[in-house]
Amino acid sequence: MLDQLRQTCRRLLEEGTVRVVIGYGQDAAGKPAYPIFVTRPEAVDRLVWNDQCFANLTTYLTRKEIRALGKPAIVVKGCDERTLVVLEKESQIERGDVHVIGIACSGVGDPRLPKCEACDVHMPRFADEVIGQVPDEPVGPDSRYADLQALLQKSPAERMAYWSKEFARCIRCYACRQVCPLCYCERCIVDKNRPTCIDTSATLKGNFSWNITRAFHLAARCVGCDECTRACPAGIDLRLLNLSLAKSAEENYEFRAGMDREAEPVLGSYALQDNEDFIR
Amino acid sequence: MNQIISQEALLAQINEWITRGARVIGPTRIKPDLIHYATLDSPEEILLDGFLRPANSIKDFLFPRHEKLCTYRFKGKQIELDDVELSDTEQLIIGARPCDAAALPILDHIFNWDYKDHYFNHRRQTTTIVTVACKAHDEHCFCTSVGLGPDAPGGSDVVLIELDDGGFEVRCVTEKGKALFADKTTPSDKSGTVPPGPEKKIDPKTIEDFVKNNFESPFWQEHTPRCLGCGICSYTCPTCHCFDIVDEGNAAGGVRVRNWDACQCTMFTAHASGHNPRTKQPQRQRQRVSHKFHIYPQKFGQILCTGCGNCARNCPVGLGVLSVLKAIGHAAEGDTSEAAHAEHL
Repeated sequence: MLDQLRQTCRRLLEEGTVRVVIGYGQDAAGKPAYPIFVTRPEAVDRLVWNDQCFANLTTYLTRKEIRALGKPAIVVKGCDERTLVVLEKESQIERGDVHVIGIACSGVGDPRLPKCEACDVHMPRFADEVIGQVPDEPVGPDSRYADLQALLQKSPAERMAYWSKEFARCIRCYACRQVCPLCYCERCIVDKNRPTCIDTSATLKGNFSWNITRAFHLAARCVGCDECTRACPAGIDLRLLNLSLAKSAEENYEFRAGMDREAEPVLGSYALQDNEDFIR
Repeated sequence: MNQIISQEALLAQINEWITRGARVIGPTRIKPDLIHYATLDSPEEILLDGFLRPANSIKDFLFPRHEKLCTYRFKGKQIELDDVELSDTEQLIIGARPCDAAALPILDHIFNWDYKDHYFNHRRQTTTIVTVACKAHDEHCFCTSVGLGPDAPGGSDVVLIELDDGGFEVRCVTEKGKALFADKTTPSDKSGTVPPGPEKKIDPKTIEDFVKNNFESPFWQEHTPRCLGCGICSYTCPTCHCFDIVDEGNAAGGVRVRNWDACQCTMFTAHASGHNPRTKQPQRQRQRVSHKFHIYPQKFGQILCTGCGNCARNCPVGLGVLSVLKAIGHAAEGDTSEAAHAEHL
């Protein structure tokens, strides 16, 4: 698989199809891989693919420093690829401007990340070329939202206590936002200060405002790549917030962000049969 | 003769400190894979062994992420200000790493340069630092490259060196440290051994010369494209000390607060006019390295880095300052080979 990946990238760079390959590099086996930007065919041997390739590289597609490098090829796992669908629907990328190298993935991390345990997109579906083969099994909502369900079993007071303890550690580094491919606003609402909408202070009030607002802004958009959770230096399980909103979108609108290229975004479309029970 | 304390006696002592009302802070397990310095409720929570170093730094307890500076109330056209009372509670940081403690004398300069920062200085006075010398290091550690080491005493009031039996040799560095451990130790001919630290990985002088002479170099663009522009490296760094001051309140009044800020964030240099002198991430990376290895040393004679490696271990894209420093080393030697390029980009 790795040879095929490198050969593909070498070809794309040599024939000039792309100017840069956004892929994974690694210092040593078993160490976390990190994003690299390969611009020369002779450097493709720096590319790796293994279960340490956590990053969702699509976050770089909307960055001006990376766009300045020229047309990219990007290595995506099935989960990351869902982001491309959302970015395209939200007019942040032109699909034709990106060469997508999908890579079959049976899960990352050792042990595998929670998202991988309930993954039904091991195989990329819309890539320009796909490397490798891994069987995909259907996964039901029960296993998709299992971790959330455990939290929802608790009383509201217990859940409040849980989130208060978690958010108390938030240092407002905004790594959750910066790593998120769908947090592409040029000026985030938390950075707006005339007037201030969200306290920038790392107090419980400010931290609740920030983390919940960010989750809401990703409602029915978040594809569940869990990069925010991986990046968080405070170990806050932000995944649970995102799962909660994803569950609502699936239950109310039969919508899972990034799964269907034809489906209109929940918050960007209206249908007569939309559930309006919440309007009273 | 050395002075020693058994592990049991140290834990009993921690219990006594907690009981007498001190805020005792130490490394503790937050989650299965996350160790932080945090306030301890009982001595059982402290970790003295079996881990490299906490993922945060002790600066949060002297220069906290969020600090109230004063409160204000509008009375007609007048504004009434009230000072914030600072706590006199004794703070004891037990089990700090030398690379955390070493940051405090460095921070003393910035908080006492043109303005004496009451908030920081007050906590410095009420805080005693007991470090435990390092027994291990990883690929991100480079304390020896910036003049420190596994048992460097800078910033510590006491340095503990682990003995083979789990106890500690107690090396009191300051009067405050001596007072804390007075009558708590026993004389012994046992002594702790400190393994060698990490090999030297960079030369600060080379870095300083390079950043001085390569402000506009394409190096920065070539070596830092993966930086996402979050605040992790700065906020988990023992020495980074930049902050933002904002007012939070309503039409009746509010509070003026000081919050951590980071040079890697876009808004850090945004002017009120809308102009931003640092528009690109490579410029921000250049700033961070320059501040640590050129600007701060030039002004205060000390490197603004203790080589703890927190920036790299916490970075979601594996960047950190060391990989940039190593790349500078290669660039300064004129090594443009694929291997040199590949090693650090």
